[in-house]
Amino acid sequence: MAAFERISIKNLTKSFRNADGGKNTIFENVTFELNSGAVLRLSGASGSGKTTFMNVMSGLIKPDSGSVLFGNIDITNLSEGKKDRFRAENIGYIFQTFNLLSPFSVLENVYAPLAFAGKLTKDYKDKALDSLDKVGMKEFSAKMPYHLSVGQKQRVAVARVLFADPPLVFADEPTASLDRNSSELVKNTLLELNKKGTTLVLTSHDSIFDDIRPDVDFNLETGVLS
Amino acid sequence: MKYIFILKAVLHSISHRKFSVFTSIFAISAAFAFLAAIGCVSFGLAATAVNSSLAFPLVVGPAGASDTTLVMSTLFNTDKPAGTLDYEFAGKLASDERVSAVFPVARSDSYMGVPITGVESAYINEISKGFWDIDPMIDAKDIFGGKNSDCAVIGAKAAMRYDMSVWDTFFGSHGSVGDEDAHLHDFKYKVCAILKPLNGPEDFAIFTSLKSVWEIHKHGHHDAEHEEHKHHHEHGEESADGKITAVLVKTKNPVFTAALEREYSENGFTSATDTGRTVRKLMSYMNKAEEAAGFFSYGTLFLVLIMVFVTIMTSINERKREMALMRTLGIGKLPVSLMIFLELFFISVLGIAVGNIGGHALLAFCKPALDFELGINLEPFFFTGIEIRGMLYTIIAGIFLSFAAMIKIYRMNLVEEIAKE
Repeated sequence: MAAFERISIKNLTKSFRNADGGKNTIFENVTFELNSGAVLRLSGASGSGKTTFMNVMSGLIKPDSGSVLFGNIDITNLSEGKKDRFRAENIGYIFQTFNLLSPFSVLENVYAPLAFAGKLTKDYKDKALDSLDKVGMKEFSAKMPYHLSVGQKQRVAVARVLFADPPLVFADEPTASLDRNSSELVKNTLLELNKKGTTLVLTSHDSIFDDIRPDVDFNLETGVLS
Repeated sequence: MKYIFILKAVLHSISHRKFSVFTSIFAISAAFAFLAAIGCVSFGLAATAVNSSLAFPLVVGPAGASDTTLVMSTLFNTDKPAGTLDYEFAGKLASDERVSAVFPVARSDSYMGVPITGVESAYINEISKGFWDIDPMIDAKDIFGGKNSDCAVIGAKAAMRYDMSVWDTFFGSHGSVGDEDAHLHDFKYKVCAILKPLNGPEDFAIFTSLKSVWEIHKHGHHDAEHEEHKHHHEHGEESADGKITAVLVKTKNPVFTAALEREYSENGFTSATDTGRTVRKLMSYMNKAEEAAGFFSYGTLFLVLIMVFVTIMTSINERKREMALMRTLGIGKLPVSLMIFLELFFISVLGIAVGNIGGHALLAFCKPALDFELGINLEPFFFTGIEIRGMLYTIIAGIFLSFAAMIKIYRMNLVEEIAKE
């Protein structure tokens, strides 16, 4: 499970150019460490840069400066191909919406990232069906994403994380569009994964996550780390 | 597995943008169908011309007739003859030891726009591939022999178009095809035979005996019922009594053709032309027209491909989120951009395939109508150079544009673009 002992964020800065040519700094010189199996909570109002921080952390967006180390690996210095492989093997994602790839069936969505990375094991179909079973979506395995409700899509995204069993999970407002039952399922699955040693990076305004005590809380709006 | 997923994504994307994909494929197909039509029609015309030129390598006509007039007025029945020759001239030509056969022809009247040409039975024997129908009382080998001088042998397409059968009678219009002063003649022709299709201009022609042509021009009419209508025709370019408009010549070998052409062009009384050379000259004009049409088709194809490219690039904006999700999930830049490449390439190839198959199928479907209405005998499933070049250019342009789209996607940081939004 733990492919890396520690995640080190060092002097991370990211800004975007505005349409008027001005500079909009999202975060500046952020430094902290996260042990494997810890919970990082990103807080702040909408538009404060929580998703951007996640994207920089996962190597999807290049920071202006600074580094993100997973153990000894600095993801900001990896080639695009290596970053892709790293993400496919080490990071799971659950978003508020837009979780599934429309060309693929529910079952294919579960194993697509590892299929593209060429990391599928022989029994991948059984494992993918097991993951879907755990979130109550096995009977929908052959359906296409457009047949599913938002909550069902979210469950499939959770199944995808369960299938890949990555050491790090990014959950970006994972329950924002869900009913109470689905929200509970997502929360419990995330907690279960965390208990097994998965590092969790979470952004949520949902009070359902209030009882989770994060190891690090980073407020993007104020820039305060606690 | 990875490539199956890529292919699946491409097919899914194509199937979910049915209208724009259909429009794109239709536009490419239409351009290709046009190319197929240009190729097949010009091939059909060329084949007809070559067949005709092979049958009679030399045409001799009156002095002053141009090469084109000689060929067009005799083999293609589309031009007015330039004057007349004495029938005896054909006999003199036949006695030349370099000549294997001569076929005197006399352009005469027309019927509903179909030219009527006076010939001898030997000409019918020469061109005929058998008869669809023939009067049982007539000797097929000497169709105009005996008292059959009012006999008319009808080309297959002319018979079909005007629903002519054996024993039918008709009156010709005096004057050549397209003459403004053409008027109904009182000479009654009787249909004796209908030729099987020859896939040439002969299919849209009527042949009668030389004797009947002379009779008309000698007496004004032939039919006793119209005795009172005597009308002497003074159309100098058409055959009068004992006159013919040209002689089709078969020579013993091509060297003799060239020598005879020279001799009969320089004697001051006649003009002669090597059919093969004149047809080649006509074909080169046709090829230029074909090339010009092809050039415009290629231009259209290129514009269509640009349109497809723009459509796909526009659709990328709509699919940015999905592609960003792919990147987020660890699906590499190359597979994601490869999907766009394949999408554009598939549309190009599908357009070519549908255009080719559809274009040729449409030509096959329209063949009878084109044949019947325009007299164009085309080969619907013949692939010409213009079409093969079109395919090649489209594939090259398709690859180039697909590659441009692929590079554009490859260089985009989709996640950052969405973050900026």
